Amino acid sequence: MQGVFSQISVLGASGVLLCGLLLLWRRGAGAYISAFTWQSAILAGLTAAIGYFGNDAQLYAVAALLFAIKAVAIPRLLRRLAARFTVSRESAPFVNTGTSLVVSGLLVLLAYAAARPLQAIADAPTKDGMPLAMGLLFVSLFVVVSRRQALTQVVGFLMLENAIALLAVLATYGVPLIVEIGVFLDVLMGFLVMQIFLYDIHDTFSTTDVDVMRRLKH
Amino acid sequence: MFDIRGIGIEIGQTVLSLLLAPALVGFIRWLKARLQGRRGAPVWQPYAELRKLFRKEMVVSRHASWVFTLAPFVVFGSTVVISLLVPVVLTPLPFNALADLFALVYLLLLGTTFLALAGLDTASAFGGMGSSREMTIAAISEPAIALAILSLALTAGSTNLGEIAARTIASPAHALSPGHLLAFVALFIVLLAETGRLPVDNPSTHLELTMIHEAMILEYSGPYLALIEWASWLKLFVFLVLAANLFVPWGLATSLDPAALAVALVSTVAKLAVLAAGIAVLETRVAKLRLFRVPELLAFSFVLGLLAVASSFSLR
Repeated sequence: MQGVFSQISVLGASGVLLCGLLLLWRRGAGAYISAFTWQSAILAGLTAAIGYFGNDAQLYAVAALLFAIKAVAIPRLLRRLAARFTVSRESAPFVNTGTSLVVSGLLVLLAYAAARPLQAIADAPTKDGMPLAMGLLFVSLFVVVSRRQALTQVVGFLMLENAIALLAVLATYGVPLIVEIGVFLDVLMGFLVMQIFLYDIHDTFSTTDVDVMRRLKH
Repeated sequence: MFDIRGIGIEIGQTVLSLLLAPALVGFIRWLKARLQGRRGAPVWQPYAELRKLFRKEMVVSRHASWVFTLAPFVVFGSTVVISLLVPVVLTPLPFNALADLFALVYLLLLGTTFLALAGLDTASAFGGMGSSREMTIAAISEPAIALAILSLALTAGSTNLGEIAARTIASPAHALSPGHLLAFVALFIVLLAETGRLPVDNPSTHLELTMIHEAMILEYSGPYLALIEWASWLKLFVFLVLAANLFVPWGLATSLDPAALAVALVSTVAKLAVLAAGIAVLETRVAKLRLFRVPELLAFSFVLGLLAVASSFSLR
């Protein structure tokens, strides 16, 4: 039973990481948004599974909330945003696709090295998924710094949030429900603020390419 | 442990692969046609194509050298040798000592190299273009295959193909490990690139701008073409068997018991049918990638392989 639990948690974590890596290879806002939707859905499923194996009923509620907010509500808002800006393609990211894939591979290896002490002190059966969650953390940070389109950066940020949620649920079987609700509210608020920013940026510069915004300096 | 019967079964399995490979390709084509709303040629159409090609006259360019004549035999021969090494129905094969991961990768590369040389040999523009593209792809896809299978080898503790399959049968929990899953996705992407399937190369057209495999073999006709086509179908068959029987080895016979062999045969055919259906569905859903994006796809597969190795290593 422990073995199965451990396998499922690592499997779910790799699925979540895989969706993060897809962001680096695919192009176009639609593809990014569906990668994020799948990632959130897998994360919700994994949270529910951890709730089942760890006998924690609260996690079901967290999973349901996660699915409702990150896999349904935010993707819908994102799609509306993408349709409004008609940014269909990421115009030449700062780092090209091949290099960024290799860099992300190295980042995940780094995460394996960095998570070693964490794994050594943890004794939960889910500990083998922790390096993957950390890897996603690094990869999504890399997405945020290496892409030009503001929309892609927002998706990268949301994935970063997913990575933190994944790490929390793997390391401690989830923080208390009340904290989780607070985090969800923060994410939703943060996203709404970013949305307003994006609209403003688009209105002022008539593009969401952050590289063009150097004019702000003058 | 294995006597003359074992060797008989090994050879029988290779003959079976040779006979089943055209049917596999025919099945993919038929299913694809049905999915696209066409009636499609019957599943046994590739057999008729082979028969037709073997009967046809052969035209060889005046400028062709011995490489051109040798290449079809090397390509066919190396693929047949690979099919001798891959566990189709029985897992510790009599020739198991040779069935090594590195031998497999180099045999694959041998066929690819000779095909590329043959493409260059007649000095036609298309042949050279096809060879150059094939080499670009092979240079990235071969390490990705090695890496994907290496992650299985790390879990099994051996680079021997039979050993890997046997270990996974012995401990089923391995099959669900992330290393296995990531490696499977990596191998599947490389499989599509190596066998010239859709996101990388379109197997059903001769469009100059995009073709890779077809460009290299453009100068071939008659029995030579038949050999090359058969070899490429066999390659697809072998790759699918590799994906099926290394990652989901249940059903493989571990002894020479006839009942177990029958079960193994049925289960292998069923697994192949599932994978072939997967390819057909994928090919109706995706468009061909731009040539310059192909290395990116393969880099993705390479990264997945790398992650698979990392996680197999840390979970070992």
